[in-house]
Amino acid sequence: MTFRQLAFRNVFRNLRSYAAFLLASVFSVMVFFIYSMFIFHPLFEEEGFRVLAVRGMFIAEIVLYIFTLFFLFYSLSAFLQARTKEFGVLMHLGMSKKQLNKLVFFETMILGGLSTAAGIVFGFAFTKFFFMIGREIMQLEQLPLYFSWKPFVLTIGAFASLFIIISIISVSFIRTKRVVDLLVGFWKTEEEAAYSPALSAFGLVLLGVAYFLAATVSDRTVYIMVFIVPPLATIGTYLFFTHSIHTFLQLYKKRRSIYWHKTRLVSLAEAAVKLKDSAQMFFIVTIVSTVAFLTVGTLASFTSYTAEFRQSNPLGLIYVSFEGNTLEQQQVNQLKRELEQQQLAYTLVPLEVKRQTSSASGNDVDIMSLSEFNRLAMALGYEAADLQDGEAMFVPFSQESLRELQKSYAETELLESGVELKIDRTYPQVLFPAHTLNANTIILNNEDFSEIDEPLMGYPQDASDFRYYAFHVPKWTETVSIGENVRFPISEAMVSGNFAGINYYFENPGYEYRWFKSSFALLLFIGLMVAAVFLLAAGSFIYFKLYTGLDRDRRQYQLMVRLGMTERELGKIVNRQLVPLFFLPWALALIHSAFAFISLQVVWDEFAELSILSEMAIVLGGFTLMQILYFFLIRWRYVAHLKAS
Amino acid sequence: MTVVKIDEVTKVYEGKVTHRALNQLSFEVEKGEFLAVMGPSGSGKTTLLNLISTIDSLTSGRVLINGINPHSLDKDELPLFRRRQLGFVFQDFNLLQMLTVEENLVLPLTLDGMPIKEMEKRVQELAGRLHLQPFLHKKPNEISGGEAQRTAIGRALIHRPTLILADEPTGNLDSKTSKDVLELLSGLSREEGTTIIMVTHDPIAASYCDRVLFIKDGEFFNEIYGDDRRQTFYQKILNVLSLLGGSVNDLSPTRLP
Repeated sequence: MTFRQLAFRNVFRNLRSYAAFLLASVFSVMVFFIYSMFIFHPLFEEEGFRVLAVRGMFIAEIVLYIFTLFFLFYSLSAFLQARTKEFGVLMHLGMSKKQLNKLVFFETMILGGLSTAAGIVFGFAFTKFFFMIGREIMQLEQLPLYFSWKPFVLTIGAFASLFIIISIISVSFIRTKRVVDLLVGFWKTEEEAAYSPALSAFGLVLLGVAYFLAATVSDRTVYIMVFIVPPLATIGTYLFFTHSIHTFLQLYKKRRSIYWHKTRLVSLAEAAVKLKDSAQMFFIVTIVSTVAFLTVGTLASFTSYTAEFRQSNPLGLIYVSFEGNTLEQQQVNQLKRELEQQQLAYTLVPLEVKRQTSSASGNDVDIMSLSEFNRLAMALGYEAADLQDGEAMFVPFSQESLRELQKSYAETELLESGVELKIDRTYPQVLFPAHTLNANTIILNNEDFSEIDEPLMGYPQDASDFRYYAFHVPKWTETVSIGENVRFPISEAMVSGNFAGINYYFENPGYEYRWFKSSFALLLFIGLMVAAVFLLAAGSFIYFKLYTGLDRDRRQYQLMVRLGMTERELGKIVNRQLVPLFFLPWALALIHSAFAFISLQVVWDEFAELSILSEMAIVLGGFTLMQILYFFLIRWRYVAHLKAS
Repeated sequence: MTVVKIDEVTKVYEGKVTHRALNQLSFEVEKGEFLAVMGPSGSGKTTLLNLISTIDSLTSGRVLINGINPHSLDKDELPLFRRRQLGFVFQDFNLLQMLTVEENLVLPLTLDGMPIKEMEKRVQELAGRLHLQPFLHKKPNEISGGEAQRTAIGRALIHRPTLILADEPTGNLDSKTSKDVLELLSGLSREEGTTIIMVTHDPIAASYCDRVLFIKDGEFFNEIYGDDRRQTFYQKILNVLSLLGGSVNDLSPTRLP
């Protein structure tokens, strides 16, 4: 057996202890590879919302890379610690420290090579499947499978560098004290945690304060709280696992009538040892799970934004023609024709909009006539407005502005034409999307409207007026392809910032809706995969902890069989050990995320009033279900190993 | 009164090589008797203990403890039988590391849901007799080997079992502590009428017993009864062992009592 063979066999004959670790790293490589396949896709070299996909995936890859670095760092140092005894034997037999380092380096590289290769193979196998999902989400005609060396090189390069870094660092984990110490093994002592009641209380207080701040956050304080609450919660979580839990258990143990009852004696004492042993692991799992929940929850809450979209965009199509637009009739006719071709019913209301300067604010104001406005309101099924001479009405551009305007009252003069007005009302619906009209838009009755005969200051006669063509299309989501060539010069001008020669504005809310919806779905899709990697990694920590303790647990199990425990009692004990291991960090992560979302809700309210509760319930429920399945899988294997003696 | 009756017990391990660990072994143990089972390595001592303690199955024959055949009990009754009728003392103590000495002691009682008062009373009783008082609240890794073995004996006694099974109880102890533990066990059988079966390699340990049963290759070889002088009993045991022809390692270096 050569030296390399020894390393090789060490890995392959211990594959079972590496199982969950390999699963997590293979999955990480796989996700990374699939993202790379998207990023280098020839179709994605174009502009548009695919840029978002590529950028999102690129960021996700960076996150994955950094996370995997930490994951490997933690896992491998734990592996090496668990193998202290084995290293002791090797050094006893005369292996030098240098050779030992070489051995560990080889082993890590074998593990790295194995997971990278397996990850790429699985990744490539599943690429077609993920391309299909991606095509659906991005509404692409087609997203064919392609073959290029780039994704392979990126993935192999990234993970090779990662494993090399980790191999070099991990070598330094081996503590070569005296060989005797190594032979005894690292986890020999089974003391209960040295806990301090003061720190336990402090941990709980920190958590309480963090929760309180998160729950009572307001618009104004939210940006400060972002920097205060997470550190508080993190330190609180750490103290909770390292101190508070032990204080609780100790209190519980003091009450013999509870503690000295049937299997509780063993299961509680055992829980105390396992909790102490795994306090750091619990902390890491909690934080990682919280981040995963938050990522997915945030992205899922974006999708609910689309529900709000219709409320602020009630119009089907909007075409605004400014002075000097020669294409006006041609383009409006084209839009009508396209709607007819696609058999979409519509109502077209052209509105004449005049612009004046208000004496009250000094800003310019967009003005519409009552009759035209009412025609549109009726078409949309809203109530008609009524105005007397000298009266005017605000037109809100968002739900937020509606609330603001309802509180305001203004007396003003339209300076250019000398029309005096009293604005004491607000139309109770949002008709026009925010940026299609001036933020100050009012309606005048027809007489007052016709009295406006002067243009806005600095404009020639009639040059400041424009026409607003509002299309009401009941089936508004089906207008995606309408007016593509009208929209195109505008999007181009937006990118280049050069609006010269474009004297119109066109908006297609159906198209934008689709765009929002798919981008959020895409981000969610990217985030879900990253979160899955996070959760698998968290699961692998738990698996590894159980696996390294298996020998000891098995001895204990045999003893308890001899002492006369029934199968049911043993089952109970095993459950009480495993349930906290799986669900304690989980539960805490859920509570953390719940409070985080309460704060997030406040931030959201600023953009759009929407509730993210139902999305969150679905996301967290789904994850919990997965965790339960994982629990049963691991328990089944664990019990089988315990019984095998 | 016969407490344990071993009747033509045979145990065959099937496998790549069929191995007959015990062959038609028969003997009886009286109430209050302290029996040592000796024999060379591989003679079937531990198998015998496992059969009596019901954690291994018989190939043929019968084991009766207090008139009950534990091998005929179903899997729900068997643990109950074990926890009520049997007490175990092991070579490596097998205390649960996460429990204190006191908690290790009450472990068999908690399973049966005994009232706290009664449990505390029994702990006090045993702690007095076994001198466990000073370290009742310590963990097993904080006490010495002798103290750990006394704790284990306490755990085996606390539920007042019919039979105590001891597997090399002095194997990990120094001679002074061994002596204490053995005197404790023989005292228990003499004064309290506890029935003990002890498997051992050590002729000194065996010399504390009432009777020594020798087995070789799974079969009965010889038995000798103790007399008032332990010194002469010890010599007799050594004589039988030399006849038995076990390897030299099986005999402890002579350390006279």
